[in-house]
Amino acid sequence: MALFIQALVTGLLMGGVYAAYSSGFSLIFGVMNIVNIFHGELIMIGAFTTYWLYSLYGIDPFLTLPISMLTVAVLGYIIQRVLINRVVEAPPMISYLCTFGVHLILANLALLLWSADFRTVTTSYSGVGFSIGPITIPIARLVTFIIAILTTFGIYWFLEKARYGKAIRAASQDKEMARLVGIDIKKVYALTFALGAAITGLAGGLISTYFVIYPQMGLPYTIIAFCVVVLGGMGYIPGALIGGLLLGVIQALTATYLNSGLSVAITFILLFIVLVLKPQGIVGKGIVE
Amino acid sequence: MKFLKLVLLACVMIGLVVPSISLAQTAKFKIGCALPLTGVFGRDGNLVKDAYTFWAETINAKGGITVKGKKYPIELLFFDDKSDKAESAKLVERLATLEKVDLILGGFGSDSVFAASAISEKYKYPMISGGASSNKLFERGFKYYFSTLGKATEEVRGCVEIVQMISPKPKTAAIIGSDILFTSLACEGFKQYAAKEGIEVVYFELFPLSLDDYNSLLFKVKQKNPDIVLVGSHLKVALNVTKALKEVDFMPKLVAFSYGPTVPDFVKSLGKDSEYVVAAAEWAPNLPYKDTIFGTAKQLNDNYFKKFGRYPDYVEVASIGGALVQQWSIEKLGIVPPVKEADRVKLMEELHKVDAMTVYGRIKFAPDGANVDHPPIAVQVQNGKLTTVFPKDAAEKPVLYPAKPWKERK
Repeated sequence: MALFIQALVTGLLMGGVYAAYSSGFSLIFGVMNIVNIFHGELIMIGAFTTYWLYSLYGIDPFLTLPISMLTVAVLGYIIQRVLINRVVEAPPMISYLCTFGVHLILANLALLLWSADFRTVTTSYSGVGFSIGPITIPIARLVTFIIAILTTFGIYWFLEKARYGKAIRAASQDKEMARLVGIDIKKVYALTFALGAAITGLAGGLISTYFVIYPQMGLPYTIIAFCVVVLGGMGYIPGALIGGLLLGVIQALTATYLNSGLSVAITFILLFIVLVLKPQGIVGKGIVE
Repeated sequence: MKFLKLVLLACVMIGLVVPSISLAQTAKFKIGCALPLTGVFGRDGNLVKDAYTFWAETINAKGGITVKGKKYPIELLFFDDKSDKAESAKLVERLATLEKVDLILGGFGSDSVFAASAISEKYKYPMISGGASSNKLFERGFKYYFSTLGKATEEVRGCVEIVQMISPKPKTAAIIGSDILFTSLACEGFKQYAAKEGIEVVYFELFPLSLDDYNSLLFKVKQKNPDIVLVGSHLKVALNVTKALKEVDFMPKLVAFSYGPTVPDFVKSLGKDSEYVVAAAEWAPNLPYKDTIFGTAKQLNDNYFKKFGRYPDYVEVASIGGALVQQWSIEKLGIVPPVKEADRVKLMEELHKVDAMTVYGRIKFAPDGANVDHPPIAVQVQNGKLTTVFPKDAAEKPVLYPAKPWKERK
């Protein structure tokens, strides 16, 4: 029983990590209909920002998070303004190619700058956790879990209630009408991208404390984010949280009761099942074209 | 028109003459190598690149490879196989056909070298690797493939036999590892030697390299509470497992890795969390090895630090050892560039006869290409330093056992 509860907790915490780095992907897809292939590179840059600030200046990883967010947000804003705005209304293939190109550029630039070394942020409290009975909970992951929930609800609230959020929704629902009522679509897109990038950068900073980071880590993260978002429903913001938690728990249970190899395969088996049976995602609120 | 034709003719002639002039001036050994410079083995591959560079620069500083009294400098050509075996094979084919290199050096990683050595065998290029040791590499009846490392299953011997020095002797072990060629064989080796030592294996699992959730795996291991944990790993897996052990708050009395902790990044990035970790090695700077080129093992260690700001990993010294015996064989046979196929056949035959003492230790290849002589060394991280703890006659310090639980560490 203890093992089951531990697996459940581990799964939920891992799910929190998945959700944290997938919600930006979902936001960008939901508003702009763009599958952002360089999403993983945004995570990588967020992670490296934290890493460098910690290793060069000794700044605590948690204090570096706002800087990671800002760095990645600015980068996202610039890429969106300069590049993606030009292809946002083109057929999807063009935007795939465009974001794939950015993925290659960012990953290889990082490789050139930082070499292929594996790095990790090890602080005095790295890996430290607390126990409730036989259950162990690592603190850094718990913090990520809480942040994932907060950002999900934050963005959800922002889109539903805030004036700017409403403009973003309007732009995503009907571009022409939004334009007619005076919304600057391009600006909305760039700010959405910056927002999505910011929460992705935040997740990158967080994961650098418990995962190994390296310049080419991006693509696997993009793939997982894609799976998470499909599970929860493409473009439905709370979907990333639901998809992430679901994936985390299923993986942990598979790893615990079957084997670890299957826990990796299960991600794609789930993706396949959901795409065939329920393309709108588990809760059925995703966008399907 | 006539003038134009003349100019054209002159250009063509210059074009024909210039390369031959430059060739005549700089007869070099053009030596190629496909290595994983990026991807999952990127760090490991770059170490081997450093090793070959160190070897070539040391030789070039003396004018180059000396054949019949004449010096021929070394020109190295590195290609990045992106940690992909198919790419590695493709690049070795390119080195042999398009680049027409004189010699080929071995890459890193058993999967890649397995694929690449099939191509070098086809083109009759001897390939000595210091970064691949899976048993399967030696079971193909190849004549042109050699390795300065021992076989993977034997490489981890020291990590298990170390229990002979421990009292009370551990009774149970968990063995985990990634499911690729080298690491799964290392796990087999762990299993065999554990059985010999009378240690019961209470848990065994192989997992894919792409695994994200190490915590679930290690919670299962924790549940079994083995005395020792043996891990078939490369650097990234070793980092992940160590981090996860701390997150699940489990420290076995001894944790040993097949590869990873000897790469300098391991101690650098994990800091104090790397203490007590044991790893297999095939070379250590305190061993009494020496040769005429690099001096003693300790001198090599120090010179390496001067050049790269870090000490060499045993795989790097194994790579240097391989390059060195190939160089000596060339000097002995009097082969000069450009190296022809007939020369390479002679070189292969000579390599099978080699029995040399190098800074890496004794190199003598068995008929299957594996190095016959390799002590089962185990090192442990003690106070941030890799310390040789096994075998007894090479040990700098006794092994620290049992490892301190995470919560009792400062």
